[in-house]
Amino acid sequence: MQSVAEFDNVGLRYGTGAETLTDVSFKLFPGSFYFLTGASGAGKTSLLKLLYLAHRPSRGAIRMFGEDLVNMPRSRLPGFRRRIGVVFQDFRLVSHLSAFDNIALPLRIAGISERDLAGPVNEMLDWIGLTERASARPATLSGGEQQRVAIARAVIGRPEMLVADEPTGNVDPDMALRLLKLFAALNRLGTTVVVATHDIHLLQEIEGAQMMRLDKGKLSDPTGALKHPPRPLVLRN
Amino acid sequence: MRLPFTANPHERQLIPDGRFTGPMPWVMAIMLFLSLLAAAAALALVHAASQGSESLSRQATVQILENDPGARLSQQQQVAARLRRQPGISDVNIVPESEARALLEPWLGDVAEDSDIPVPALIDLEFSATPEPTRLNALRKDAARIAPSVRIDSNAQWLKPWFDLVYSMLWVALAIVLLLLFATAATVALAVRGALNTHKGTIEIMHMMGGTDLQVARLFQRRVALDALFGGALGLALAVAVILLLGERIAALEPGLLSGASVPLYGWPLLLLIPVAVTALSMAMARWTVLSTLKKML
Repeated sequence: MQSVAEFDNVGLRYGTGAETLTDVSFKLFPGSFYFLTGASGAGKTSLLKLLYLAHRPSRGAIRMFGEDLVNMPRSRLPGFRRRIGVVFQDFRLVSHLSAFDNIALPLRIAGISERDLAGPVNEMLDWIGLTERASARPATLSGGEQQRVAIARAVIGRPEMLVADEPTGNVDPDMALRLLKLFAALNRLGTTVVVATHDIHLLQEIEGAQMMRLDKGKLSDPTGALKHPPRPLVLRN
Repeated sequence: MRLPFTANPHERQLIPDGRFTGPMPWVMAIMLFLSLLAAAAALALVHAASQGSESLSRQATVQILENDPGARLSQQQQVAARLRRQPGISDVNIVPESEARALLEPWLGDVAEDSDIPVPALIDLEFSATPEPTRLNALRKDAARIAPSVRIDSNAQWLKPWFDLVYSMLWVALAIVLLLLFATAATVALAVRGALNTHKGTIEIMHMMGGTDLQVARLFQRRVALDALFGGALGLALAVAVILLLGERIAALEPGLLSGASVPLYGWPLLLLIPVAVTALSMAMARWTVLSTLKKML
């Protein structure tokens, strides 16, 4: 089976500093659900940045959707990025756009017409419970509402892979569960989901999810903390 | 307003317009105003020079410096008659002595009318083409058989420094226009770099969602195009007002070298092209600046 993402001995350093990620090797398979855990500073966000193509590795090889990303020309990256949905830890909503326009952004970038995007965006607003706040700007939304908008923006384009960095960090437990169920629903539709979290309780909510644990920039074996033991990861080394 | 090569209305929301609030349109207006004035001055000077070269340079003046008034008058008549028979001379006009004396009046005052002061006898010549110095020399030698003190001065000779000056000023004006265009392009580049920095967060989000550099460039092209159009229209309006005002003042002058110094009809479309060219140049510069800056991002 062809992997969605394949890391081989990947290292990442910022500038001339020490390596943030060291010898990271793994494969992510289509339709799988992964949790990425680790203490603060373990390198979770850095690993996600490599996954959503915000950085190239300092060394090692990365293949995404079957293609070598390390040597891929810059001009081809946008096409790959459109296949990945991202929920940023700090939401990164566009401050002068309404909730509706923020959610519609990936569709507009992809060239979807206004007539075709209104339906899905309104549906998404309804799902995250923000229909009434469609025209509100991010600054007037609560942290939880902003996070829901960020998640809606990440999933509206039906990405092949969804990468979420602490997506439930600012929402109450009920909403966290609802969001996780959305991820699981997307996962059932074939989207590969990678969720970075340090909330151990979440790990038990998704049956069949696998866990990757980062420790000081290195990937370690699953801890066995899941209620449902994860399928074995294809780990190298 | 949808401009070619610019973003659609929804893409535009990504970068708030904010035009007319920054200095860009006003700087553009000043640059355009100065460029248009320089170009208009160049066109007017060329027009004046070409008019002068058309008529004045085909003219020459014969002077007979004879002290004896009777001999002077006789020589004037004979030389004029001889010149009329020469090929290539379209008109020979004897200048009456009273007119010649009147020419001296600005320098000598009423004394110029005193008949005791010898005044050269003058004959105005008009050639069918600008005469070469060798041709004038041959004519002078021929006329000297009748009037040994004869001199023939071509207008083209004394006009040459004027034409040289005009053409030098034309090059200077063109250089000024080019420098102003360069300054405009540099202003656009600086403004776009500033705007890119201001909107860095939004651009990164666009990139992360698969936005292309061209999509980002189109956003800035539109902003710059609107600023350039506004600045161009304002600069053009001001420049046209100044050109028309100066044109009226020049038209009120006595006939002379500057009397033809007005923007010719063919010059107005050229002047109108300058704001259009500046808008196109600004858009191209914005695009280049965005693309070259984004190239450094992943």
